[in-house]
Amino acid sequence: MAQQTVVAERAALQVEPSWRARLRAITTPAFFIGPALLLILIFFFIPVILTILISLTDMSVATISDINFVGLKNYERIWRSRTTMKILKNTFIYVGFTLTLFNVGMALILSLITTHIPERVGTTFRTFWLLPRITPSVIYAIMWTWFTADAPYGIVNQFLSPFGITPKNWLNAQPWLVVIAANGFVGTSFGMIIFTSAIHAIPVDYLRAALVDGASTLQRIRYVILPMIRWPILFVVTYQTLSLLASFEYILLLTDGGPGFYTTEVWSLYAYHRALSNYFGNVQFGFGAALAAILVIIGVIASVVYLRVFRFSEMVAEPKIEVL
Amino acid sequence: MEVRLERLSKHFGSVVAVDDLTLHIKSGEFVALLGPSGCGKTTTLLMLAGIYRPTGGEIWFGDRLVNDVLPKDRNIGMVFQSYALYPHMTVFENITFPLKLKKVPKEVMREKAQRVADMMQIGHLMDRRPAQLSGGQQQRVALARALVKEPDILLFDEPLSNLDAKLRLTMRGEIKRLQHDLDITSIYVTHDQVEAMTMADRIAVLRDGRLQAFATPDELYNRPRNLFVAGFIGSPPMNFLNARLTAQNGQAIVEGNGFRITLPEDLGRKALSQAQREEVIYGIRPEHIRLDPDGEVEAEIYVIEPLGREDLLDCRLPDGTLLGVLVPSGHGVKIGEKVRLKFQLDHSQLFDPHTEQSLLWN
Amino acid sequence: MAEHAGSRIGQIILGIIVLLLSMPLLVMYIWLVESAFSQITYGIIPQGFTLSNWRFLWEGFTNMPSIWRITWNTLVFAVVVATIEVFIASLTGYALSRMKFPGRRMFLSLTLVLHAFPAVTLLIAIFYVLLVLGLYDTLVGVIMVKAALELPLGVWIMKGFFDNISWDMEMSALIDGCSRLRTWWEILLPNIRPGIAALSIFAFLSGWSEFLLPYIYTSSFENFTLSVLLRRLVGDFRFVDYGLLTATGLYYMMPVLLFFIFTQEYLLNIYAGGTKGTTV
Repeated sequence: MAQQTVVAERAALQVEPSWRARLRAITTPAFFIGPALLLILIFFFIPVILTILISLTDMSVATISDINFVGLKNYERIWRSRTTMKILKNTFIYVGFTLTLFNVGMALILSLITTHIPERVGTTFRTFWLLPRITPSVIYAIMWTWFTADAPYGIVNQFLSPFGITPKNWLNAQPWLVVIAANGFVGTSFGMIIFTSAIHAIPVDYLRAALVDGASTLQRIRYVILPMIRWPILFVVTYQTLSLLASFEYILLLTDGGPGFYTTEVWSLYAYHRALSNYFGNVQFGFGAALAAILVIIGVIASVVYLRVFRFSEMVAEPKIEVL
Repeated sequence: MEVRLERLSKHFGSVVAVDDLTLHIKSGEFVALLGPSGCGKTTTLLMLAGIYRPTGGEIWFGDRLVNDVLPKDRNIGMVFQSYALYPHMTVFENITFPLKLKKVPKEVMREKAQRVADMMQIGHLMDRRPAQLSGGQQQRVALARALVKEPDILLFDEPLSNLDAKLRLTMRGEIKRLQHDLDITSIYVTHDQVEAMTMADRIAVLRDGRLQAFATPDELYNRPRNLFVAGFIGSPPMNFLNARLTAQNGQAIVEGNGFRITLPEDLGRKALSQAQREEVIYGIRPEHIRLDPDGEVEAEIYVIEPLGREDLLDCRLPDGTLLGVLVPSGHGVKIGEKVRLKFQLDHSQLFDPHTEQSLLWN
Repeated sequence: MAEHAGSRIGQIILGIIVLLLSMPLLVMYIWLVESAFSQITYGIIPQGFTLSNWRFLWEGFTNMPSIWRITWNTLVFAVVVATIEVFIASLTGYALSRMKFPGRRMFLSLTLVLHAFPAVTLLIAIFYVLLVLGLYDTLVGVIMVKAALELPLGVWIMKGFFDNISWDMEMSALIDGCSRLRTWWEILLPNIRPGIAALSIFAFLSGWSEFLLPYIYTSSFENFTLSVLLRRLVGDFRFVDYGLLTATGLYYMMPVLLFFIFTQEYLLNIYAGGTKGTTV
C-alpha cells in the first residue's frame, strides 16, 4: 500500500455513522467479550486488589469480627521473621534446581534427542512425557511416594540395593531430591514442546550446510541449533520461573512442607498455609495475603515485562472486516 | 441499479488506501477497477460490499445512501478470488445459503438453486462438497451462490486469478455473457488489463488510491489522459521518449536524441496550444512502429523476443534508450543489425513531464 | 528433518538414553496398573493377583460419600468447566481474532498477561470473593473459579484457531445475509471443529484432574471430587492399603488414560497451540 500521509483538513465529504451503527459497534463486541470480561473481573482483577487490601489488615481467625487496618505491619513482620530467610532459601533451591535440571535442562536434552532419532519414535517419547502433566496431581504424588518408599516396597530401593545402597524412605531422607524430581518430570514437557517446535522451525538448509561443512552432530547442536533457539530458551526460563515461584501443589501433596519444620516449605506454600490451611488452628489471613501479595506483584510485573520483551503485540494482525 | 461513489476515501491509520474517489456507474453497466496491487481497488470493492467502513464520502445504491447499511442488507452478490465456498456445506447448501437466511420456502429454494446451477452447468454436482470440485467448478458454485439471491449489484474480486490460463479464457467469456443477459450492474476488480479491456464497458484505472481515468477500453487505449494510464494500458507497454516540442514554420516538431518528427497537423495544433514548456514526453506504442528504410529514426536491434505471430524487437537508440517495436514474424533482421524505424505519427502521444498529463486529450 | 546426522548405532544409543531418562515415569505407571490388581507389590514385583482392591466400587469407603456420588461430582465439574470454558473462549477468541473494536489490542495484551500470570497466587483472595458471593463450599463456585483461571489460555488457543480461517469466507457469509453472530455460529464454528474438540478434551482433562480448587474451596462431603477423596484416602491409608489406593487412583485416571491413548496427536497439538506464537 502506498505510504501517503493524510493531507490534513481536506475538504472531503465526512459522513457521520448513524446512531444505529454506533450502537452496533458497542453491543456486538460487548456480547462476544462480555462473559470473559466478567469472569476476568471477578476472578483476576478483584482478587489482585483484594490480596493487597487484605495484606494491609490484621484479619485472622481471632480478629474476624474486628478487622483493623495495620498498614505495612504484615510486610514488616515478613521482613523481620527468621522464618522468612529459611523460606526464601527453600524457594531458591526449589525454583533454581527444578528449572535448570528439568524445565530447561531435561527439556533441552529430550527435544534434542527426540529430533535426532526417527520422527515416529521421537513423537512417541514426547507424547509420553505429556502424561504426567495430565495425570491428576493426587495420583502422581501417590506414585512418587511409592516410588521412593522404604524397603521392601519402594522401587528406587529395589533398583539401588544391588549397588549396596542402604534402603531408606527417600522422601524423608532426601526430600528436596524427590520434590525437585517430581516437579521436574511434570515441568519438562513445557520446555520440551517449545524447544522441539523451535528446532523443527530451523530451516533445513542451515542444518545441511553444517553437515556439508563437516560438523559433527555435537558441533552442529552447539553452533547451529542452540544459538538459533536462544529466544525460546529465554522464554521458557522466564515463564517457568514465574510458574515455579507460584506453584506449590505437588509439594503440598508430597511433603506438605515437611518433613519436620519448614524443610521444603516454599514461599507460595507458606502463604497458603498461613492464610488458608487451618493446620495450626490459627489462620492469619492478613499475613498470608501479604506473602501472596509479594508474589502477585512479582507476577504482574514479570508478565508485563514478557509482553514487552517478547513483543507479543506485534503478532497482532488487524481484522479485515470492519463492520460489526 | 445505479451506483455512485461520491468523494469516497479510506484511511488505514496514516495510510491512505482510497483517496477522494468519485465514480458514477450506470445501471446494468460492467465496470472494471484496474490497477497495480495496492492501488485501492479491492478496498473500494469491500467498501461497496459493506465490509469496510468509508473514512469519508458516500456510497449510493440508486437513491439509497448505504454507508451504514450492513452487508446483508445491501442485496449484493460477491465472487472472491479464493471462491470462499463454505467447506462444511454441500454445493446445494452453499448455493441455497443466502436463501435460507432470507427464510425462502424450501420448495422455492430448491427450484431457484436448480435453475441457477443449471445455468452455471453444475446442476449435477449438487451433493458434492467444495473440496471434491475442481477450481473451475468451485468458481461456478461461487457464481451461482452470488446470483441465486438475484442481487442488484454483482461484485467480483479477481475471480479468475486462481484458474489456469485456458479456463480463465472460458470463464471470462461466460461471465461477460452472463452479465449481459442478466443485466446486473457489475463491478469487477482486476490487475489484469487484458481482462479489464475485454470484459468491461468502462474501466476505472486506479493508482495509489486515486482515480487516474474512467473511460471505455477504446478511449483508454487510444486517448490516454495521463502518463500512468498510457504506460499501464497496453501490452507490450507504450514507449516513452524525452523530447522537445517546438513550432517551426507553423508545424509542430518533436525532437529528441537521434530522432526528429513532424506531428500531423491536428495533433500538432492541440499539443502546441496545451504545452507549457518545450520539454515533453513523446509516447508511441510498439504496434505503431514498423521497420522501414525510409524511417526517421535510426536504431540497433538489441534483443528479439518472438511472441509467436509477432516479434517484439528491442531497439537501441543512439543515446541508449530502448524502444519496443512489434513487427510480424519473418522480418529477417538479426541482433546487432542497424535498422530504421518509422512511427505511425497519427498515433503519437504527448505528455507534460511535470504534470504527467496528456497534451492531447484533456 | 529427515536426514539426521549420525549412524544407526548413534540413533540406537540416543534411543536408549531417552528410554533411560523416561524410565522412572514408565516404572511408576506400570506400578500403578499392576498394584491395582495385586495383593501387594515389592518394588516393581507384584504378588498375587486379586480384584479385591476394587471392592470400593460396590462397598464404598467407610466414612466417605458413595463413590458414584463422588464420580458424578467430578464428571459434572469437568464437563461444566469444559463447556463454559470452550463456549466463552470461542466467543472471546472470535472477537479478538476477527473484530475491530476499541480496546481490542488492550484486551489481547490483557489475555496474554493473564496467560503468563500465575493465578495460584490469587487463591487467598478468591477465597474471599467466593465467601462474599455465597459460593464457598459449592460446586458452582469452584467451577466458576476453574473456568475463569483457565480462560486466558483457552481464549488464546481459540484465537489461534480463528486466525486460520479465511477472511473471504467470512466476508462472503456477511454478504450472503449473516450477522456477525450468525457467521460465528454457522460458518466459523463448524470450520474449527477440530480446535473445539481439542480444547474441550484439554479443558475436560484439566477439570477432571483438578485438585487444589475443590480441596481449598469445598469442605462438605456432598461436594467431594475424586481428587479430594484420594487425598483423604492417602491420609487414612498411608502405608496401609496401597492396593485399594492404587485401584481408586487407576479408576480415577481411567478417562485420562483413555483420552491419552486415543487422542495423542490432539494433545501434542493443543499444547503446541497453547504455546504457539509465544516462541518469538
